[in-house]
Amino acid sequence: MSDDQTGVAPGVGPVDAGSDREDDDSHLRGGITGWLRGWRSAVGMAGRNLRRNRVRTVLAVLGVCIGVLAVAALGIFGNVLALGADDAIGDIGTQVVVSPNADAGVESLSTADVAAIRRAVDDPAAGDPAVVPLYSDNAIVEGANAQTFATIYGVEEPGLAFEAAEGRLPDRHRQGAIVGAGVAEDLGVGAGDTVGIAGSQVRVVAVLAETQTFSPVAPDDAVFLPESAFAADGYAQALVISESGETARAAADAIRGEVNAREKRVDLFELAAVVDEINEFFDLLSTFLLGLGAISLVVAGVSILNVMLMSTVERRQEIGVMRAVGVTRRDVLRVLLAEAGLIGAVGAAAGTVLTVLLVAGLVVATPAVDTSLVIHPTNGYYLLLALGFGVGVGIISGAYPAWKAANERPVEALRS
Amino acid sequence: MYSVELRDATKRYPGGGAEPVVALDAVDFVAEPGEFVAVVGPSGSGKSTLLNVLGLLDDPTDGRRLLNGTDVTELSVAERTEARKDSIGFVFQDFHLLPTLTAVENVALPTAFDPGDATAYAADLLSRFELGDRLDHEPSELSGGQKQRVAIARSLINEPTVLLADEPTGNLDTETGESILAEFERVKEEGVAVIAVTHDPRVEEYADRVVELTDGVLVGGVPDEMAPADGSSPARTVGSVTEPENR
Repeated sequence: MSDDQTGVAPGVGPVDAGSDREDDDSHLRGGITGWLRGWRSAVGMAGRNLRRNRVRTVLAVLGVCIGVLAVAALGIFGNVLALGADDAIGDIGTQVVVSPNADAGVESLSTADVAAIRRAVDDPAAGDPAVVPLYSDNAIVEGANAQTFATIYGVEEPGLAFEAAEGRLPDRHRQGAIVGAGVAEDLGVGAGDTVGIAGSQVRVVAVLAETQTFSPVAPDDAVFLPESAFAADGYAQALVISESGETARAAADAIRGEVNAREKRVDLFELAAVVDEINEFFDLLSTFLLGLGAISLVVAGVSILNVMLMSTVERRQEIGVMRAVGVTRRDVLRVLLAEAGLIGAVGAAAGTVLTVLLVAGLVVATPAVDTSLVIHPTNGYYLLLALGFGVGVGIISGAYPAWKAANERPVEALRS
Repeated sequence: MYSVELRDATKRYPGGGAEPVVALDAVDFVAEPGEFVAVVGPSGSGKSTLLNVLGLLDDPTDGRRLLNGTDVTELSVAERTEARKDSIGFVFQDFHLLPTLTAVENVALPTAFDPGDATAYAADLLSRFELGDRLDHEPSELSGGQKQRVAIARSLINEPTVLLADEPTGNLDTETGESILAEFERVKEEGVAVIAVTHDPRVEEYADRVVELTDGVLVGGVPDEMAPADGSSPARTVGSVTEPENR
């Protein structure tokens, strides 16, 4: 054609590529931008390669999507179960019930025992828990139209251990009765009414809130009177109420170490250990459910492996051409890893969105599920975990086909 | 200094039997900058192997290989890739364009993962090959001749000193083949050594020198007139020059 088209002088060319290679000063900057550019090109090419065989790509993405859905949904279900159980057994792990050791002939806790318990737990490691000694007896409690059998406790500082639903708990319990929620309901009494206990009429100063959790003291079915109402020699038990299960355990250890040092004077009823076992069970359940989900993710990984192997075999020549014209093995590897990673990432993102929709749907359809448990932040951890697994499965499954294709000798690949 | 040089190069493949197959038998070959060499010979004579060895896609079993005066007989895989990208351009019979990339992206492919953007230069090259209006076309939207021109543009993106072509006109009709050969003429005028393996007599017409490979033995690989490192223009065994009417 015309002469001007033949006039491209040698030396005018892709100078960017050449000069960057030689420019040591901007090596670092060039390294980073070059790295980014390399990945951008790789991801761009990967995207187009994936679009070439849409059905195959969509099926592989679907596999990852289902795998991620399984991991995330089962993980969240397990977590919600654990959270629900934790909510139900709640505070029991924070209580230690100290009672006299009848085997050693100790019939009740003396004031000295209670003082020893207080000294033992007066330690930052034990969380400085409240110690509430209780007298205990049983009696018939009579309301206006009904009567019931209830445990009668003598307590001085009810506010440390209980909460009122009606009326107000006195700092020092001097007079009147504090009625548990169950007893109040049975008798149909409220604050200000009068109940008959062992022949005496006592005014109700407060009704306790219904307890959500199991407690060995069972305050729902009890009536609390001032200590002065009891003529007993010592306390029947002492409640040690901590902030957390951990401090409760520390408090129990401290009591064992100090109060029982010379003689085993007290028995400890500690629920933290039970709670630990329950939590361990739910951890196991969660792991089991995650494991179930992981199986489907492994299947998805195998499908990516299959897709990538087929794809690299089909494109053997193309990869050979890339290698022949000077594309490095690392860059071929990047393109193929980007393909597998994209399948993983898109599948994982779709799976995560589906999980959110599924869980939201279940919450809407099942009123029994407590919404606050479902939107608990720890569930987000399972979503992220599943998302990460999905992308990871993609890259790991793509690694072998990519490595294999990148390392094939171009002369062999071109011959095919 | 020769653009590319083989000295006593032998390539043996492990054959099916006890005896290895000798694809290249003590071959001496040189090509000067700006020289168009056609390699002819029957099928299975080792032409492709010669091209692969020259193009650093395959290594000689024995002998030496030099690229622009540097010994490149034994390089690591990464070094060979780097050397190919620096100095060698490939044009294949089947064009071998990537179907998912546009014309301009195919041309820029060798540098696609490098820092800097060679797109502008790739577009320049395509304009030079009269494909300035086809930059964003995919290979499926191009004719055979257009594809081969894209392939030639791709082979030039790295400003090679050696352009290796394997049956570059093999899949093209007469007229298109002629125009491709005319492109090689222009490439060669820029100082690039063009080496084409071919069955096509027209290629021989365009070539400055025709060498013949038979059963791995090369005849005329080093012309007598050419003293090593002399750098002067070689004598032409077959007539050829740039005749505009040929294009």
